[in-house]
Amino acid sequence: MLELVAVRHRYDGRVVLDIERFAVPPGSGVAIVGPNGSGKSTLLRLLALLERPSEGEVRLDGVVVAGAKTPRAGAVARRRITLVEQRPVLLRGTVRENLEFGLQVRGIRRSEVNRKVEGVAARLGIASLLHRRRHELSDGEVQRVAVARALAVEPDVLLLDEPASSADRAAAQTLYRALTEERARRPLAVCLASHQLEDAYRWADDVRALAEGRLSPVTPENLFRVDLPSGGSGDLKHVCVGTIEIAAATDKTGPAILAVPPTDIFVSREPLASSARNVFTGRVTRLTHQRPGAVLVTADVGVELVAVVTEEAARDLGLTPGGPVVFSFKATAVRVF
Amino acid sequence: MDFLGEGLRRAVALLLSGDVEVYGIALLTLKIGVIATVLACGLGIPVGFVLATRPFWGRRAALTVVNTALAFPTVVVGLLLYGLLSRRGPLGGVEWLYTWQAIVVGDVVLAFPIAAALAAAAVQGVDPRIRRTAETLGAGRWRTAWTVAREARFALAAVITTAFGHVVAEIGSAMTVGGNIRGQTRTLTTAVALYTSQGDFGLALALGLILLLLALLVNVALQTLQGRGHA
Repeated sequence: MLELVAVRHRYDGRVVLDIERFAVPPGSGVAIVGPNGSGKSTLLRLLALLERPSEGEVRLDGVVVAGAKTPRAGAVARRRITLVEQRPVLLRGTVRENLEFGLQVRGIRRSEVNRKVEGVAARLGIASLLHRRRHELSDGEVQRVAVARALAVEPDVLLLDEPASSADRAAAQTLYRALTEERARRPLAVCLASHQLEDAYRWADDVRALAEGRLSPVTPENLFRVDLPSGGSGDLKHVCVGTIEIAAATDKTGPAILAVPPTDIFVSREPLASSARNVFTGRVTRLTHQRPGAVLVTADVGVELVAVVTEEAARDLGLTPGGPVVFSFKATAVRVF
Repeated sequence: MDFLGEGLRRAVALLLSGDVEVYGIALLTLKIGVIATVLACGLGIPVGFVLATRPFWGRRAALTVVNTALAFPTVVVGLLLYGLLSRRGPLGGVEWLYTWQAIVVGDVVLAFPIAAALAAAAVQGVDPRIRRTAETLGAGRWRTAWTVAREARFALAAVITTAFGHVVAEIGSAMTVGGNIRGQTRTLTTAVALYTSQGDFGLALALGLILLLLALLVNVALQTLQGRGHA
């Protein structure tokens, strides 16, 4: 178990992270979502033992491995955790030499190094790149090599900072497939930071939101764990969520996560005559100014849903806490993971 | 112009004739230069690494001291060393005054801040992700430092070149603690100064040319080594 406990981290006196407790249990998949600048990368660097928290502790299996008053974490602890940065860099040398690096520092025998390098290169689809050097690779290839390099050392915890940010769709799928296979192959905890909800959902045993250095006490907006029925008309499925029934366009069945992006919800005072399959009436519970010009409208419509509207729209609709509101969204707006 | 042309002709003739004194002075300069550069860089580059990578109390002050030391007047360093090495000085017992070893000590004192300050700048210029990558892959302190050094190899080679150039071109300290003794502590720079003042312009010019040649050879050697590296 890798944990941050009572951590406050500062850069130049400014608090960039303030977390009471954050844990990555063995074998778990934890996703941290939040906008750029919310502290995700700092959080991962602390977890990776690359920085010491200004206050608080980082614990590994209950043992303090980094803290404000302890020496910097040693290589032994660091070797159990590997971080792939958002924009990873390759070390000087070929891709093969990069994959060998972590194995060599662990003193692994040459034959074993070769076996592991070739195995992980095959799983990540980079076997043909092994002889290339960093300037001969695209950003997406560098990212895949970086993930392969991290997996080659078989860490207990793999930390990924926006792992698909430089990858195209196919490369991202290869990456995620390899991570799924790796987790099925051996106990591996994955902690992934992303500003894309889709990334988070793929790994979400536990999804945590981070904003301005603080973990949100609630999960990100409009996420629902459901069990999709096998029947339904075509690909349209109706799923009970709380006291409401959400229509989702999907051919998936079984356990899944439904996500309704707040930007895809129409907000009105009265039900609209439209093609939206999901129309729910309720009351506004909270109005939050998210950023200049945007308002998060939280409403109880049988479950808590959050929509985002402009300040002007909120004003025109006369939205106030306790006031009536109608949320509408299309079945195709519902994302299923 | 005749004066200059005559000097050049004399210089070429001396170089081609294999003059023992000229080559003796060159070899002594090379020996002092190599030993002083190795010692100054051997001490200064690790200090530069520490200054660039390890946060510690007083780090900024240490960097300021090292940067200030870059401007040490060589004669002042020679004077201080003279005081230390003279018979009445605290290090008089080692009897190094007016020996080539004393010149080496002076050169190391002068080149050390150059090596430390430029190495710190070179390491600070390396993408910080390189160090983090080495660490997150499990490298210990030395392997991480080596990985960073490999990335900064061009800048570190320039540190060595600069230190060597400074050492072989230095005259103030070499004159003060070496004494410019013929056959013992006469280096290329002190000899050039001496023969110029004696009016032997050809000999001074020949020695000056050798000094330039030495600097050129060291640069070429380092560039050749750099050229073998790949990204």
